[in-house]
Amino acid sequence: MYWLEKDQVVKLTGKLARDYALFGPRRDEVSGQVIFDRLDEPGRLDLQAAIPYNPPKFVLFPHYEEILKYRYQKQTRKVTIEKIDKLQPKALVGLRSCDLTGILCLDRFFLGQEFVDEFYLEHRKKLFLISSTCVRPFPQCFCVCTDSGPAAREGFDLDLTFTGEGYLVLVGSKKGQKLVEELQLKTAGPEAAALRKKMVDESVSSFDSFALENKAWISRATNRLTTGFVKPEVWEYIGHQCFECGACSFVCPTCSCFNVEDVNDNDGHTDRVRTWDSCSFEGYTRMAGDHNPRKPVEDRRNKRFFCKLSYSQSKKYLRPGCVGCGRCARVCPGDIGLPNVVTYIRREVTGE
Amino acid sequence: MSYHRGICNFCGTGCGHLLLVENNRARGVYPLPGHPLSRGRLCVRGWHIHELLQTDERIIRPMVREGETFRTVSYQEAIDYTARELKKFSGREVAFLGSPRASNEENYLFGKFARAVMKSNNISLSSDAGLEESARVLLEGCGWPAMTGSLSGLRQADFILVLGGDLTRQNPIIASEIHFARRAGAFLVTISPRKTQMARLSRIHLRPRPGTLSMLLLAMARVLADEDLIDRESLAGLVENWQAYSEYLDSVDRDEIFRLTGVEEKEVISLARKLTAAKSAFAFYPVGIQSLDRQSMAALFNLFLLAGKVGRPGCGLCPLTGISNLLGSLDMGLSPSFLPGYFPADREGSWKRLEELWPVRLERWPGKNAAACLLEDNPVKALLVVDHDEEIIRNLNRIKKLELVVYFGAYQNAFSRLAKVIFPRTTYIEGDGTYTNSERRVQLSQKKVDPPGEVRPLWEILSRLAGSLGHDWNYRSAEDIMSEISRVVPQYAGLSHLKLKDRLGIKWPADERHPEGTDCLLAEEASQKFRFVLDDRESSDRPRQSSPGQEFPFQLVIGRSNYFWHQNSIMKRTFIPRREYNALLLLYPKGFVEVSEEDARALGLREKQTVKIISEKAEVRLAVRISPDILPGMLYIPYFVDDMIPEFLHRQVAELEKYEEFFLPVRLEKVA
Repeated sequence: MYWLEKDQVVKLTGKLARDYALFGPRRDEVSGQVIFDRLDEPGRLDLQAAIPYNPPKFVLFPHYEEILKYRYQKQTRKVTIEKIDKLQPKALVGLRSCDLTGILCLDRFFLGQEFVDEFYLEHRKKLFLISSTCVRPFPQCFCVCTDSGPAAREGFDLDLTFTGEGYLVLVGSKKGQKLVEELQLKTAGPEAAALRKKMVDESVSSFDSFALENKAWISRATNRLTTGFVKPEVWEYIGHQCFECGACSFVCPTCSCFNVEDVNDNDGHTDRVRTWDSCSFEGYTRMAGDHNPRKPVEDRRNKRFFCKLSYSQSKKYLRPGCVGCGRCARVCPGDIGLPNVVTYIRREVTGE
Repeated sequence: MSYHRGICNFCGTGCGHLLLVENNRARGVYPLPGHPLSRGRLCVRGWHIHELLQTDERIIRPMVREGETFRTVSYQEAIDYTARELKKFSGREVAFLGSPRASNEENYLFGKFARAVMKSNNISLSSDAGLEESARVLLEGCGWPAMTGSLSGLRQADFILVLGGDLTRQNPIIASEIHFARRAGAFLVTISPRKTQMARLSRIHLRPRPGTLSMLLLAMARVLADEDLIDRESLAGLVENWQAYSEYLDSVDRDEIFRLTGVEEKEVISLARKLTAAKSAFAFYPVGIQSLDRQSMAALFNLFLLAGKVGRPGCGLCPLTGISNLLGSLDMGLSPSFLPGYFPADREGSWKRLEELWPVRLERWPGKNAAACLLEDNPVKALLVVDHDEEIIRNLNRIKKLELVVYFGAYQNAFSRLAKVIFPRTTYIEGDGTYTNSERRVQLSQKKVDPPGEVRPLWEILSRLAGSLGHDWNYRSAEDIMSEISRVVPQYAGLSHLKLKDRLGIKWPADERHPEGTDCLLAEEASQKFRFVLDDRESSDRPRQSSPGQEFPFQLVIGRSNYFWHQNSIMKRTFIPRREYNALLLLYPKGFVEVSEEDARALGLREKQTVKIISEKAEVRLAVRISPDILPGMLYIPYFVDDMIPEFLHRQVAELEKYEEFFLPVRLEKVA
């Protein structure tokens, strides 16, 4: 383990900014809230800020992404494929372990199965990831219930733990090792590992006093969802409160559904774009001839939570599909974020 | 690629968002955390606004018609041409149709162009009728033309009444606030003919017979009086015409009303008790294309005043606007009845004041709205239109016969094809501007991307046009215009771009007394004593229409929905909302009529079977959609299929489009 002085963070980000576009948590001046964003000035990085309102998903799985460009000539009926701009390498600094786990889930969806998604792979290859331990949980958090925090265990290039005076630095990759050497960080003492463990343990035990918004007994819900012991009335109760906005999918660090569209440009060429999509929309599962296996809203809600929590689905991610960040609960107009749904499933709530 | 703070431009909720901009294009959107109203949420439309903002269906060059085609011209050429043409007409021969989606600065200037430059008072919006009526009722009752309460306090409410509409579809984030209030313990009541999602979430859903809503509200008021649930002493001090209203209430035939509305008396009594007991009570009603009628708005106002819920903190009457800047457009005086700042156009003092402020001579003759100007016998020869949202244009044949149609817009649409001159204008993310949401919150939206090509902002086009017509305006920015607005519109007196830049909106009135805006109307600060709004009683305690007869046994109601929002001219430029819309359109290409399960069984109707809906004036063929959401005896047609609207609905009474409460007596016939 290495040691990074507080004032060396600027050096670290400055170095990264030479080779990478820098992303990290920053505070919005007017709302005072934290956003994970591109940092044109590395000085805007705020490693002590609360969990960002948005996950870093948009960096490697953009909300709107051109995946093909072509030109079709009507007269000659000829199609010419055009070049798409090369992707820039990106460094994500100050990732919460829930969000890092989210990226690992996306990896397993886009890269870990029969088909490898080239566009995702291209983004992913060029990433530099620096995670940051949550030494204190935030009100919305329940990563301890989903085994995805408060500290990262894998998947990072570097991992930081703030001790009050500076940062303990864990190296997770060759890329990370190289950067540590370039920065000439000194090795942390032999007590470093125990100190990091102490910080993490304290964080975990402080969930009871700080993470007050959400509780999610995931294992019980997983059991019920997997065995199918959820009454239809529970889903109906949940469905009645769904506003069908798709927000839960869009803000979820692990949701990977997308839609593909061709967009004609004014100057005669066409962009094929991939955009975020959500299983909460009726048109998402609609098939030819008006067949829809998931027409009523409660069936679509059911589908999403099955994807997040059932055992069969978790086998694909090698973990639950939920990383305990609590964002779905904050953006949901119907107040049916995952923690509430888990409660309704556990307690068989069907009405008020 | 980075996020920029902004506000959503779809409905009148005005949610805060973060727009992801990459290479000068909107590439994504995220809800803005910490926004006082939307609190980090967006609806399905808001989540896809970037798809709309990067559409290629933009107008990017000014054009002038030559025969059947258009010639691309420079802005200067288009301005010279338009100025030359406009000089041929007197004020009475020109009509102006503004846009509730344009900013306050743009709308203010459009109104000033009409009144000060063209000397025309024919100025209106296409969807303003309901809001204007609501403003009139509220002005008469309490001297305050918009939402009397503040949505910030909604989650602490004890009692919430939702009238008509389909709130979770039309203003989803406000509906969400109501849902959260309900979960925190508020008693939620919905009164609507159709079983909407809001109705399902409500503790009580009342379904008075279509056309009897105002009577039901009147009955509630009568019950308050009969059960002695009112504070007569404080009413006498607070209200000017308490005596007259009290006598009116006494004269109402209570039993007759319960018989006509079809609502059970004991339910109304229990509701009246709940309302009185509530410390904090809110009522929501839609205004806009689909709005409550005047009688119902007045009855609602009177009920709340009687229950002591007007002018008190934590209470509010909340008209909800369906389009982003509908309220701001009316604040800016885009109406024949109001000059900027709600100064009535029928008072000499209003005109004198404006003549001194602008300074320019103004005409006093009473203007008309665009629809009235386009009636056959009107002398109007020219029409200037900003950003017409709707695909279907009323009075199409009359418009085709006009000598001049000028269109100012960002996107191609049906109106641009009728124009003689087309001015491309910037979208709301290509310049600065303020927008006023339903709760009077004025928010500044700042420039995030450069416009394509040479596209100019509307305020600049109008200024140059005014210059060509001999009026030297000299505005250099939208900010300049806002500083003039702060002198002309008293509610905006304390507002400037500088001040709004580092705030998430300020609720008007913002003035010396309340520099940071005003949460709600307080009786002790009101400009006048309150009044019950008493109209000609002939119209208020009778059903709006005679009950259905033998010949037309069904009551037909018209409505909107999420994915075919308005007439979909905006939704169809997105991907996901369009897909949802197309799904319905594919299933029901010619539209559908909802029939209750009971009626379908009785008539032996199958799903998707074609039927004829026949009214006194027209008929239409539609597919049947059997629905659990409507009552037996009722039919429901969503307002979204193009040819159905001009072919069927436009042949009916004009009010059908305006008023939620309106229904049409029809009969249903099977097609062999």
